[in-house]
Amino acid sequence: MTKYIIRRLLYMIPVLLGVSLIIFILFKLVSGDPTAVLLGKNATAKQMADLREQLGLNKSLWLQYLDVVKSAFTFDFGYSWSTKQEISKMILQGAYPSLCLSVPAFVISTVLSLLISLVVAYYRGKGIDLFIRVFCIAGMSISALAYILFFQWFFAFKLGWFEISGFEAEFPFVISYIALPAIIWIVLSIGPDVRFFRTVILDEIYQDYVRTARAKGLPEVTILLRHVLRNALIPIITYVVIQIPSLILGALLLENFFSIPGLGGMTLNALNSSDFPVMKAMAILSSVGYIIFGLLSDILYTLADPRIKFN
Amino acid sequence: MSSHSILSVKNLTVEFQTSEGLLRAVNNVSFDIPQGKTIGIVGESGSGKSVTSLAVMGLLQKPAARIPNGEIYFNGQDLLKFDEQQMRSLRGNDISMIFQEPMTSLNPVFKVGEQISEALRVHKNLSKKEAWDKAVYLMNQVGIPKPELSAHKYPHEMSGGQKQRVMIAMAISCEPKLLIADEPTTALDVTIQKQVLELLQKLQAEYKMSMMFITHDLGVIGDIADDVVVMYRSNVVEKNHAETIFQSAQHPYTKGLLACRPKLGANPKRLLTVSDFMTDSGEEKIVPVERVQVFDKEIELKESSPVLLEIDQLVTQFPIKGGLFGRTVDHFKAVDGVSFKLKKGQTLGLVGESGCGKTTLGRSILRLVEPSSGKIIYDGKDITHVHHEELRQLRKKMQIIFQDPYSSLNPRMTIADILMEPLNIHKVGANKNERFDMARELIEKVGLKSNHMGRYPHEFSGGQRQRICIARALMLKPEFVICDESVSALDVSIQAQVLNLLLDLQQEFGLTYIFISHDLGVVNFIADEVGVMYAGKIIEMDKASRIYKNAKQDYTRSLLSAIPKGITKNSMAPLI
Amino acid sequence: MKSNSLWKDAFYRLSKDKLALCALFIVVIYFLVAVMSGAGWIASSWSQEVGASNLAPSLDHLFGTDIFGRSVFQKLIRGTQVAMSVGVAAAVIAIPIGVILGALAGYFGGWVDDFVTWLYTTFSSVPNIMLLISITLILGKGIFSVYVALGATSWVNLCRLIRGEVMKHKEREYVQAAGAIGGGHFRKLFRHILPNVGHIIIINTSMQFQVAIKSEVILSYLGLGVQGEPSWGTMIDDAKLELVRGVWWQLAGATIAMFLILLAFNILGDALRDALDPKLKGK
Repeated sequence: MTKYIIRRLLYMIPVLLGVSLIIFILFKLVSGDPTAVLLGKNATAKQMADLREQLGLNKSLWLQYLDVVKSAFTFDFGYSWSTKQEISKMILQGAYPSLCLSVPAFVISTVLSLLISLVVAYYRGKGIDLFIRVFCIAGMSISALAYILFFQWFFAFKLGWFEISGFEAEFPFVISYIALPAIIWIVLSIGPDVRFFRTVILDEIYQDYVRTARAKGLPEVTILLRHVLRNALIPIITYVVIQIPSLILGALLLENFFSIPGLGGMTLNALNSSDFPVMKAMAILSSVGYIIFGLLSDILYTLADPRIKFN
Repeated sequence: MSSHSILSVKNLTVEFQTSEGLLRAVNNVSFDIPQGKTIGIVGESGSGKSVTSLAVMGLLQKPAARIPNGEIYFNGQDLLKFDEQQMRSLRGNDISMIFQEPMTSLNPVFKVGEQISEALRVHKNLSKKEAWDKAVYLMNQVGIPKPELSAHKYPHEMSGGQKQRVMIAMAISCEPKLLIADEPTTALDVTIQKQVLELLQKLQAEYKMSMMFITHDLGVIGDIADDVVVMYRSNVVEKNHAETIFQSAQHPYTKGLLACRPKLGANPKRLLTVSDFMTDSGEEKIVPVERVQVFDKEIELKESSPVLLEIDQLVTQFPIKGGLFGRTVDHFKAVDGVSFKLKKGQTLGLVGESGCGKTTLGRSILRLVEPSSGKIIYDGKDITHVHHEELRQLRKKMQIIFQDPYSSLNPRMTIADILMEPLNIHKVGANKNERFDMARELIEKVGLKSNHMGRYPHEFSGGQRQRICIARALMLKPEFVICDESVSALDVSIQAQVLNLLLDLQQEFGLTYIFISHDLGVVNFIADEVGVMYAGKIIEMDKASRIYKNAKQDYTRSLLSAIPKGITKNSMAPLI
Repeated sequence: MKSNSLWKDAFYRLSKDKLALCALFIVVIYFLVAVMSGAGWIASSWSQEVGASNLAPSLDHLFGTDIFGRSVFQKLIRGTQVAMSVGVAAAVIAIPIGVILGALAGYFGGWVDDFVTWLYTTFSSVPNIMLLISITLILGKGIFSVYVALGATSWVNLCRLIRGEVMKHKEREYVQAAGAIGGGHFRKLFRHILPNVGHIIIINTSMQFQVAIKSEVILSYLGLGVQGEPSWGTMIDDAKLELVRGVWWQLAGATIAMFLILLAFNILGDALRDALDPKLKGK
């Protein structure tokens, strides 16, 4: 087991190098020579040279690439072009509002989806199963943008149940800002989640060991909650854990619409103001997140499934 | 009989709603299981025997399955009138069941101890601790070594035989009045099969259970059943005491079933099959005298023929990966220094249990797996290291027929394409028409019809598919064919037909065979010489006619004694 | 008995599934609309004023008019052209890459597999939206960049699926049998294995198609997609400001247009999986 974890940890290195390479190439190509943009038309050659030096653009490409790799470990991403702030500080500030929205929404939607899919699996083939499946597919077929626009207009603007936009960090007040985007998040995730969970659970329900459990005289509910769910959890855990890094970035559109000063909104602002260092930092940060949680989900997978053994 | 019957099935009919319409899987079936006795239900796959048992358990998939008429009395109560709640308190408690596939019938993520305790906790209200202790006790009862430790194991950490023992422990945990065993030994090696059968008999006596034993192989049932019910195409065609069935079967189908299993020693030249006794429409046929004539192998040995294949100290090993970077830390020798000579026109039988290296040996000889050392000399030429074009040319002469008729045909190709592919590869035949004609000729030789050519594999039964595989192997007119467990996946009645076909083809084309199987009975019938494999080595080799009489190795003797004799419990009279 | 290949069987099953047929019908209609719009036969004069600004839907103007008095319906048709072309382009780029890399990795194993696995792990580690955004920024805003960006992200999933499936089939006896009759790697891989994993390509493409449409809408909404042409995304972007003034028809139009095609692809994808995946037979 330890050996497996070490091997998986070591495998992170080539992946991290590859990810850094992609990000390096992309942003090198996107930003080109930024000095002219940053200093405006009237910059002197001296100023431009100084700035190049300061941004590390005079270094060899190889060293510049190494800087990207290094930042994946140190989280030292340099300064924003538009706000001139240190990017790591901006990220720290943005993390709180983002997590306020994403964590509760993610937890509720996952638990809810699992409950719904268990009910659906229990009544498989019956009316309620069909109804929820149709509901999921229809729900998934509506654009996220349409949900956001309509919910914001209807519940916040028309009915005035929620704040239209903005954010307040303190506890009871935060709810009125977070609730609506969180609801939209949940509505958006339930469709694909239930569909996946249902498929996984039904895959297990037709296995031979379920017939054995029935032959033992166990009640159908026990069979579902004990035998089937325990096996279905193996792919479900992987599916859920792998989504966690997107909590950092996932609320891109929601934060933007509801003016929540989180990381997603920050990324979109950076896009609009061509603030490439911030975008690059977010790309590196979320990639590192994906790699770490990918590792975590692999390890959990092997822990949850006793069939996988290490030598 | 019905007065002390524990189970009494009366006029049971089961129908399935399928996309092709209503399918009657069980038609007006009636039988009784007397208290404390074992009843064997015999029939080929699809005859309705498993569906009958699921109907008794109340485990038929509704609403696809329905029971338009019939009664199932258990202890005097009609189970078909029970609701789900009542059935549940019966299942695993008064009636329990063992299934065919021990590999998939246990839940992979729970310890076997927990799985055995489960029924006890539900039906007997035992505490977790009490149930666990009982589970350990039961595991000891069914002969699992170190039960305290083994109870903590997960199913994948046990062998197939042990898993089936766990299933049995689970089934007897609540001391049921009736145990249903649905092909409990079919997926197991013969030696394990024998142990499991003995265990079931022992437990039946100890727990005074009645048993319903379902199998496709009459031979298996002989040792264990008091009464036998023979099912054919959804109907019961014969039922009687086991001795009566074995000694004077009435129905031609039963006679066919009894005759088709090869016996040790003397057999007819070609095995008798069901179709020798019965026409397709079910009418009795007179079996020609020459067909039943028992034939002594010794006479016909082809002693004078030249050696076609010589294997010298062949070793095939697989790397065992380990360490941080998956380096090769050791080797596993699947084939460990095997040598033998095979004469032209002869058949060498290789027998051994799963994992003994017989399959790897076969594939190494064909160079489908690369041997590590040793020599393969074919027709006087060392082929151990030939490559590319030479190896390709060799494929024309050496062929293989695989075990699983379901996975060995490409499901997306028609039979014609499958059969013509070898011709295309080796550019045999001038054009497509000529190749098609060659394929058609062979498909008729293996007993299929030429209008089957445009069909796809999934439209054929297991036995038919195996015939197609045989035809494909023979397309290039090879001299030498390896049959790797080629009849093991088939019902005994089909097995006999395919064995006969292999013998006919051998005679017609002068083929040399290596026949690999775990069943010494089958090998003994078809082979001239038999090699017994154990742990990668051939531990004993002798003429087929001699090995069953004077086996030198204990292991060979244990293989021999494991073959179902087709003898009933009470009488020792051999068949036919 | 009539003889049927697995493909024919599958299409027969599909043809009995009325819901799937409806879905297929919708998909075909969308493709036809896209082709006709692309050829300039319909909605070519979408940019012309047809009435007053912000007219509500009526019989004259099915989905009303936008702020410049242009027909929303015609804009929707142009948007359909954009959306469908993005789906097709993403598939055209992703299928060859995904299938070839996946098949080679699964079949040959060893260092080829190590390399391909590394490649798709790396690509899947960079968040899709980041890849999409930066590729469109590099290539310049416009529909072509969206094609490339979506192609570059959607091969990953297909590649992983194909690799796994090829690995499974490689061990099957029918592939070994092809080796035993003298067939080489090329024959084993292309004649035997690939036809047996082909259904994955079809199922995955029908799923990826909707991902592509959704992504195009979001990219266009962010201003990275089509320029100077209507797209469902830019229409929703317009609606963002119009909604408070009670102008709901651009949003409704774009949403309905998207809903129908996504629903159709969802249903079709499910039906295709049920019909083509041999694993699910008999359930």
